[in-house]
Amino acid sequence: MTESVTTIKAIASPLPSQPQGEASGSQPPKSQKNMTKAERREQQEKQRAAKAAAKSAGPSAKPAAAAGGSNVKSAPSAATVPAAGTPAKRSDRRGTVSGREAPNMFDEPGKARGLRIFSHFGLPKPPGQAKGDIHPAIIRLGLQFSEFKIAGANARCIATLTAFKTVIQDYVTPPNNTLSRHLMTHLSPQITHLVSARPMSVTMGNAIRQLKLEISGSDIDLPEQDAKDALCLKIDNYIRDRIIIADQVIQEIAGNKIKDGDVILTYARSSVVEKVLLRAHAEGKQFSVIVVDSRPMLEGKKLLSVLTSVGIQCTYLLLPAIGAVITEASIVFVGAHSLHSNGAVFSRAGTALVAMMAKQHSVPVVVCCETYKFSETVQLDSFIKNELAPAGDLFSSFPITRPKSTLTLSGQSNLEILNPLYDLTPPSSITAVVTEVGVIPPSSISSIPLALGRSTL
Amino acid sequence: MPPGTIVAGKDGSSQFDIFATYQSILKNEEISTPLAAILALTELIEKSNAGTMFELVKALNDGAEVLKERTPNPISLNAGCELFIAFAYLFPHDSDSFSGLKTELVKQGQRYAAEALTYREKIAKLALGFIKDGSVILTHSYSRVVMKTLLRAHERKRISVYVTEARPRGLGLRTYDELTAAGIPCTVVLDSAVSYVMDQVDFVLVGSEAVVESGGLINAVGSNQIAIIAKAANKPFYALAESYKFHRLFPLSQYDLPTHNPSILSFPLSSAATAVSHSPSSIGPSGGKTLTSEGPRFMTQEQVACNPDVDYTRPDLISLVFSDVGSLTPEGVSQYLVGMFAG
Repeated sequence: MTESVTTIKAIASPLPSQPQGEASGSQPPKSQKNMTKAERREQQEKQRAAKAAAKSAGPSAKPAAAAGGSNVKSAPSAATVPAAGTPAKRSDRRGTVSGREAPNMFDEPGKARGLRIFSHFGLPKPPGQAKGDIHPAIIRLGLQFSEFKIAGANARCIATLTAFKTVIQDYVTPPNNTLSRHLMTHLSPQITHLVSARPMSVTMGNAIRQLKLEISGSDIDLPEQDAKDALCLKIDNYIRDRIIIADQVIQEIAGNKIKDGDVILTYARSSVVEKVLLRAHAEGKQFSVIVVDSRPMLEGKKLLSVLTSVGIQCTYLLLPAIGAVITEASIVFVGAHSLHSNGAVFSRAGTALVAMMAKQHSVPVVVCCETYKFSETVQLDSFIKNELAPAGDLFSSFPITRPKSTLTLSGQSNLEILNPLYDLTPPSSITAVVTEVGVIPPSSISSIPLALGRSTL
Repeated sequence: MPPGTIVAGKDGSSQFDIFATYQSILKNEEISTPLAAILALTELIEKSNAGTMFELVKALNDGAEVLKERTPNPISLNAGCELFIAFAYLFPHDSDSFSGLKTELVKQGQRYAAEALTYREKIAKLALGFIKDGSVILTHSYSRVVMKTLLRAHERKRISVYVTEARPRGLGLRTYDELTAAGIPCTVVLDSAVSYVMDQVDFVLVGSEAVVESGGLINAVGSNQIAIIAKAANKPFYALAESYKFHRLFPLSQYDLPTHNPSILSFPLSSAATAVSHSPSSIGPSGGKTLTSEGPRFMTQEQVACNPDVDYTRPDLISLVFSDVGSLTPEGVSQYLVGMFAG
């Protein structure tokens, strides 16, 4: 922080943390008062553009390095606006700036200002600079999340918890403080950093809540290393009991529903469903699989390669063609991102279509879901909470018959790409939910705590 | 071999013919299959010389297996067995006196069975509130709990009953006989005439073999059809079930039932089989070609064997399930089951 302030002083007149509109650069010949409103606005837009350019030019971890780096890089790109202003502003008001910046990430002044109707979904954004001391493991994780290198509710939760184990081990209780009280405040900025990379999944939320409970319940008298080891052990147990072992129980229970000669339809790629199918095949059951996939994520391809490599007979098609094969299917298996207390399933976008289609044709729909994915909230539709897929090259999967530059959709002023990642399947389309406590109808989520012997999920 | 005989086994432990015990218990008309299973298992505990809980549960499971194998329709039997085994497993005990625990289990089992005999009465009283004076009721096949409810209702209100024939076993005729003997106006309706009669009916009342985890119903074949027709005609469909018939099964479809096997609804393998169906089991003059001169024709045994005994009714078709634990919606059944079998 201090470095960037010195840099500012060296280059330009000191720039206080003023509201953006009033910031005066060191160099425009007119002072703010003399500029007309239009000119002021123009300057504001230019500053915003320069900030956007600077930000995309140099994402990095430490504010100091960023200040130095972006100073160099943005100087040539931002002609009139003092580049020194931007790092100071960025590090001063990181939270508000990135919040305001995000919707305007991909636009330039004068063009469309991002999605208007679904702007509350939050566009995917590269993780901003880390404020405060974020542990390198968390920074790495944030980058992996934002680039979708780690995707899927289970994978994200396990990765998060593993990273937290490292953080906890490296943590040192400051003097005059106790681990059980201070560790939580230490973890909060780490969690915020992860959330800024990609909105938190329900699984991560439940796991973190459990972790907080464990931390606050840890014994004050324990020596620090013992307390940290105990917490890491609890994390390991959580992963083992509620994810790994739960998956094994689900494999067994769902496997019982698979009979020889079945045609199983599945959508996109669920880690649990993949394990169920592999295990049933290993047990010698004869069945074939229809993998339904959808663009732009095309996650089903990975599932297809895994299943065919063990010798399961598969058919692959895209979602719009599902009407042609639904009559062939005898059972539908899907995974879930989360399960809500009104019985609705929040899962990869397209799952709702598959479930409703199956219901229409009297094909049973089975959702495989561990209990730690349950959320006590009620969700009624897909709009209230969702996430957008990263804006990527939409045509990468097509055979290239025209030059790529003609295929890109970005940069057109009247066109915005909307790619929600999730959708909500109503409980009426679901036949059964397989969890580690057994097969339950979707309306009975609320009786799960009783089954697990607890008072809450 | 007389029922309940203890035969000395090779290793000196006394063997106990559970199936014979079960059958002798079933001779009592009042006792239904799950209760008989529970009583048979109670006797098994009594005669068993298991030393630890593990051995005991294993012995119980083996006994339940024997019963299941030898019964053609084991669904309600399963319900009773699982309930009792779960109860035995979860029964709080201190580790010192195992024989004391066994005695306690036996006592509890017998006490439960005695109390369970009052369940039908409880259900009848509960359902009474839903039967208005002058009701026209449709029921299916023969069910002891429905019979009790109808007789109870007849004591204070005027009811009239349609009962389906329930082929191929024709148990609806037994219902007809008993109701008419009690003075209740009753008419037997063809299975295929249910939709014809549905608009005249106020509500449908059926018994059950088992009520499953999804909240659905397993009952004599034909119940699903009646439920679908009742739904289409907007008539309530009530199921009566004692709580020991609640089962943790979750059928995803008709063909996911444990009673379903490949021979049901299978097509005959050769055309020779079709010639058999014209055999002289038909009453009319043999060789007569004109339809008018032939009398009613009946299915052969082989043809009947291709048909199921029970079917599964989905929970969205059922209005309420009346049970000794109260009147439950189908969702409530699942919550009760999860709570009951919670570990």
